[in-house]
Amino acid sequence: MSSTLLKCLNLAKSVRTATLKSFLTAPKPQWQVWSSAAALQTPHAQMHTSPPRLDLMEFFDDKKHWSENEVKVGRAWRTEELRIKSNKELHQLWFILLKERNMLLTMEHECNEQMEIFPSPERIDKVKISMKNLETVVRERNKAYHLLETGETGERPQRPVQNAFGIQVNYKSCEHVLPPFMNLKWIKSRNIGFGGRAVNRFLLKYREQLYNAKRKAKNRSRNEVMMILRRNPNFDLEVLRRKFPDVNIDKLRNDDKTRGHFVPKVDS
Amino acid sequence: MRITQYLASKLKNFSNLPKEYIERSKKQVYWQTPKEINYLQRTVERKRFRYTTNRSWTGQFRQQNMPGTCRRHVLVEPVEEWSFFRGDRIEVLVGKDKGKQGIVTQVIPERNWVIVEGLNWHYRKVGGEKEFPGIIIKSEAPLHVLKDIRLVDPSDLQGTEFEWRFTEEGEKVRVSMRSGRIIPIPETNNQTHDYKTPNAYIEREKDTPAAVVGEITFQPKLSTFEMDIMEEMGIEEERTPAKSYWY
Repeated sequence: MSSTLLKCLNLAKSVRTATLKSFLTAPKPQWQVWSSAAALQTPHAQMHTSPPRLDLMEFFDDKKHWSENEVKVGRAWRTEELRIKSNKELHQLWFILLKERNMLLTMEHECNEQMEIFPSPERIDKVKISMKNLETVVRERNKAYHLLETGETGERPQRPVQNAFGIQVNYKSCEHVLPPFMNLKWIKSRNIGFGGRAVNRFLLKYREQLYNAKRKAKNRSRNEVMMILRRNPNFDLEVLRRKFPDVNIDKLRNDDKTRGHFVPKVDS
Repeated sequence: MRITQYLASKLKNFSNLPKEYIERSKKQVYWQTPKEINYLQRTVERKRFRYTTNRSWTGQFRQQNMPGTCRRHVLVEPVEEWSFFRGDRIEVLVGKDKGKQGIVTQVIPERNWVIVEGLNWHYRKVGGEKEFPGIIIKSEAPLHVLKDIRLVDPSDLQGTEFEWRFTEEGEKVRVSMRSGRIIPIPETNNQTHDYKTPNAYIEREKDTPAAVVGEITFQPKLSTFEMDIMEEMGIEEERTPAKSYWY
């Protein structure tokens, strides 16, 4: 991997790498660094490059970017880059990303209000991707710990259940004080059966809809193959077979519809 | 190694925009059910877009796909392995520039198109108003990759058919059918809107330097993320949670 591909988005608002490093070396609890007022009162204040206190203006981008058409930034953090970072750094990065996301969403809203162009809206997506990847990495670490210690993932348990309409939905378990056999309120709330004429009629129509969607998709892909073969008589059939596995290409090949009502114009 | 090479297309995304942004920018949601338990989640949105030489995150694209409008379906033949890259020298097989060679400047895989520098062009009038007749500009029309162009063999600069083969090192390359020479993928393919080469990228204000990104600070430890952070911050939890049931 080339080194520049590794250059990526930090997205600290005026918190540079120096800040990140000072976090690492600082022996103090983190909250002192985050709030600049607290950092100023401590004797080690000069060792920190704490973010300038801009109050509400921290929700807005740097003023020099306001009239820009494009604000260039690097790419999002990847999971493999986040996996080699310590928990503490991930925790700090999370808040940096969160602040940046708040700032970008505020800027987007304000630009819409003022009928201005919001420069480089893909920055929001880059921050969101970074946050998603960071969450994935944290979850992986927690899962590993729980699997090692308890043999379970430690995730919120889920199971597929059928709702009042007879449709399968995912039920996310909740934490309760009472065990299930004593929790009458929960038993009543979960005592959902389905049946009766109305539900059966609904299910019939619902399944018909699902079937129709499938049928139409199949017809559409068959028509697509037909049109491709009609226009390109010498098209590679193997490619079509791989691309449209549910279409019977050999049957279509001999079909009148793939030929068309004209002498095929063969590409020279 | 081979399977990843086989699956991944060698075409680089010139815009360097994340996929999520490209999807989000072209999205046209007409109606969406409220996110409540008593609704089956349904979205009514535009599914079919007309792709043109305008990229899907631009205003021109939106103008050509205005909400509520419907344009005729365009047939796009499936192409299994994309083989024409930015910077490739190709020969034009059709049109007024038939037989001429040029360099690919833009690739539009949504329509199996490439745009070749200075070939297959026409005059186009833009900016015409009542008073002002507008100005004439020269613009290149796209060429279809399966029918209108073919690659040029670098050994004799003649148009040639080619196929994808593997080298002994397991790398997938384009090989000229006539001379058996490898047609290398040009360096221009790796250029993006943000940088010409990865090494030439200028670090911006909010970018983390590559050295910091590559630094390994993770120490394996028998604790969850939360436990580790609490330890770092000196938070101690003495309370024992009451018995609870998950169901």
